Amino acid sequence: MTLRRAVKSLLALFRAARLDRELDDEIRAHLELAERDALARGLPPEEARRAARLSFGGVARIREEHRDRRSARWIETLLRDVRYGFASLPRTPGFTAVVTGVLALGVGANVAMFSIVDAVFLKPLPFPEPDRIVRVWEAPRPGVTNNTTTPDFLEWKRQAPEFAALAAEDDIAAALGGRGDPVRLPGKVVTAEYFQVFGVRAALGRTFRPEDAGPLVVLSHAAWQDHFAGDPGILQHRAVLNGEPHQIIGVLAPGAFDRDDTKFWKPLVFTSEHQSKVMHWLTVHGRLRQSVSLAQVRERMRAINAALVTSKPVDDREGTVEVKPLSRVLVGRNLERSIPIVFGAVGLVLLIACANVAGLLLAKGATRTREMAVRAALGAGRGRLFTQLLAETLALCVLGGVAGVALAWLLVEAAGPALAETLPFTAQVSVDWRALCFAGALALGACLLTGAVPALQTSFANLASALNRSGRGSSGDRSRIRRVIVAGEVALSLVLVSGALLLLRSLVNLQRIDTGVEIEKVVTMSTDLPERAYPTPQHAAVFYRAVAERLGSAPGVERVGLATHLPLNWIGNGEGIEIAGVSKLVRVRFKRVDPGYFSALGIPTLSGRGIESRDREGAPRIMVINQALATQLREVAGIDDPVGRVVRLSAPGYIQPGIRTPEVAIAGVIRSERVGPPGMPDFAVVYVPLAQFPAAGVKFLVRTRLDSASVMPAIREAVRQVDPNLPLTGVATMQQVHDRTLSSPSRLAWIFGVFAAVAALLTAIGLYGVLAHAVTQQRRAIGVRMALGARRRDVVSHVLGNALILIAAGLVAGALGAAALTRVMRGLLFEVSALDPFALGAACLSMALVGLLAAFLPASRAARVDPAATLRQDG
Amino acid sequence: MSKQQNEVPYGTLDLLILKTLETMGTLHGYAIARRIEQVAGDSLQLSQGSVYPALIRLEQEGWIATEWGVSETNRKVKFYSLTKAGRKQLLVEVANWEKTTALVARFLGTAS
Repeated sequence: MTLRRAVKSLLALFRAARLDRELDDEIRAHLELAERDALARGLPPEEARRAARLSFGGVARIREEHRDRRSARWIETLLRDVRYGFASLPRTPGFTAVVTGVLALGVGANVAMFSIVDAVFLKPLPFPEPDRIVRVWEAPRPGVTNNTTTPDFLEWKRQAPEFAALAAEDDIAAALGGRGDPVRLPGKVVTAEYFQVFGVRAALGRTFRPEDAGPLVVLSHAAWQDHFAGDPGILQHRAVLNGEPHQIIGVLAPGAFDRDDTKFWKPLVFTSEHQSKVMHWLTVHGRLRQSVSLAQVRERMRAINAALVTSKPVDDREGTVEVKPLSRVLVGRNLERSIPIVFGAVGLVLLIACANVAGLLLAKGATRTREMAVRAALGAGRGRLFTQLLAETLALCVLGGVAGVALAWLLVEAAGPALAETLPFTAQVSVDWRALCFAGALALGACLLTGAVPALQTSFANLASALNRSGRGSSGDRSRIRRVIVAGEVALSLVLVSGALLLLRSLVNLQRIDTGVEIEKVVTMSTDLPERAYPTPQHAAVFYRAVAERLGSAPGVERVGLATHLPLNWIGNGEGIEIAGVSKLVRVRFKRVDPGYFSALGIPTLSGRGIESRDREGAPRIMVINQALATQLREVAGIDDPVGRVVRLSAPGYIQPGIRTPEVAIAGVIRSERVGPPGMPDFAVVYVPLAQFPAAGVKFLVRTRLDSASVMPAIREAVRQVDPNLPLTGVATMQQVHDRTLSSPSRLAWIFGVFAAVAALLTAIGLYGVLAHAVTQQRRAIGVRMALGARRRDVVSHVLGNALILIAAGLVAGALGAAALTRVMRGLLFEVSALDPFALGAACLSMALVGLLAAFLPASRAARVDPAATLRQDG
Repeated sequence: MSKQQNEVPYGTLDLLILKTLETMGTLHGYAIARRIEQVAGDSLQLSQGSVYPALIRLEQEGWIATEWGVSETNRKVKFYSLTKAGRKQLLVEVANWEKTTALVARFLGTAS
């Protein structure tokens, strides 16, 4: 069939009435003409009319053939069947509601999940020509990526013509003042080509030019809306950032950047301090020139790096430069691993839902055997009956699909904030036309999956036996299929439940890990110090020391500590120490703390001493190391007692810029506190006195005597006494900080738990349906047995026994499936084997319990059968 | 799908209609049916009505065009004429037909 005809025949469907009318007109005219000719041949009028009709042929047959020819007949039939299917739905409202609900649950969860997968993995990034945007890293060692130094960045920019634009950035934060209380906003300092890299334009004003410097700022569209009420005259105003007025030179057009944390951008101008060759601080993005391939630019960067490497510190010389497409960088390993697994889990939920619906359809089909037999006897072909039954299922699936899309929309709306937190900012999750197409495909798939077997069963029922039967018995085949389906549901649910239990166990293990710090009754907070009032770290240090002193004497406060990094949080600063006689640098994390830090967090000193108040500016340089580093020193350098040892510490900015690796004595060893994500081995950490190496952006840690919340007013007051203009930011209890580090595994466990619960519930419904149906069918048999002396207990145990056989069969199959499938989760588990016998056993037990619970109702109904009544009824 | 109840070999009716329109120009359904009957003489038993399903298909393919006109009995009726595409199609169908008959003829010739 040509395309043209296909279109025409579809159109003909909608114009059927008119085409029929036109054909009738033509036939009438035809007959008249024929009659006239016959009259002209000399036939009498009656004869002439007869002859005309005779030579025309059967009018009804011609009409039928006309309809067949002009349009695809099967479509017409199908539409009629579906329409009939829809019309039949209200006749069984309970059945329709249950099936629609079950399907909506399955389809809804899948469509919502598809929207996430689509947004994260499938859709192109929301920037123009996103394939050309890349992230450029230093890769000092295989598998390690690092930020870049200023000199390297400038060299790359100078020597790589493959980039249409190359920009460096660093994160900052600033308190935006003006109307009302100041708000803390995250922002970035960026070099001039930053917005060209992402292809983002200004809606008002302009973005940066190479000559831009000083207090200039570009606002995101969202920040303009939220903090400046979308004022169109904004470019005439100044924004006060950290107490300093900034000229607003542009507002971005609305777009993906509005979903990012970053609210403002300032020009990044390199000062002489920035020229350090060891300070790896810049994040670099580039946009490739048209027709430049990734391989080409990688080759170029390697060549540039090879030339630069000779002037680098010895330890950085093996390194190379890595260029990765932005789309690959944005999706972290965690998401890459967990999203497919969650998608698989919702897929299983849909399968179970379909199995449930198939079971319900089979049960419904049983009651229609006679109807079908009568129709078949009246001449309906089996094919017709089959398609008609399938069309009824299609109507149900369409309804379920529509409800599912509505559910998906609700889910995505409700999960919005959590999603924004978890997914990369470029992923905008919405139930769009792609999700609708997916929903349509699911509904069709569900229709075939659920409808085919029941429709075959029902339409192929043995005509004679169905008509002869008194409408009481059920076909053995059908109930056997239903039992197989329910056992399958038990098996699939078991896979999900054991998956959920594995994740739960893993979560419990993660929560149980000794963090090395006592976090009860400890609260943390920080402040943003305006650059104008506190231009150098030394100024900030004075402020921090004053606050720490005030806090220490505030009522209800037990201890106060200061640190550049919170406990349990990853330390971004990676440094190295050189030991005499050892060629390799020992990699360490680098943290600055005050004398109160260790005691505020209950970190004990294992040997030597901690940091004390005598470790001031001007006093001899010391450092304290953690146990992990002590162990490493023993292994690498054979140092048994590190206390008193002098090593060279490579940390940019430490002491004076001229000396790259000053000598520092190790004063003591403390027990390791956990750094970074749970489940990782302890990292080697070096602590130096904050007083000897002041920093801005320091965090307070306050251990309170009573409940932290009750002491908060006193804490606020203490800070206000030192500087009344500073708001407290990042106020949180350490328990909250701890929970945050576990948020991604706990979220995953929750999601899985909900799916598993839904699956178990659906399975219970399915099992209940089968057993209840069986009891109804066997009412008479039960009655007879009871009349013959069976006790109620026997009847109940018979029904429960039946259920147990089903459940056991399902559990055996499910255990095999779980063993195979949970293996893909290995990467997400912490100290739990994917074949953990406890999780598998508990899953089996809980599924068996759920199954027996579902069986209990039919069983008790069977026990209530009155033998006299059933036997009489049959009379 | 279609049951082969018409006495004309399946598919040939299209060819006959196209050829008729090519020779005779614009015609209504009755005239087409009559013309085919006349040319065929006794060798063909055609229910005249079967031209109509064929006509709607040819129209959908775009090989013939229709316009409303008035019949000799003063009734509104459709007139059919060959389109450019229809003329091309006719050539194709004639060629196909000749190829088929030639093949069958050769086959029968050698088989006997």
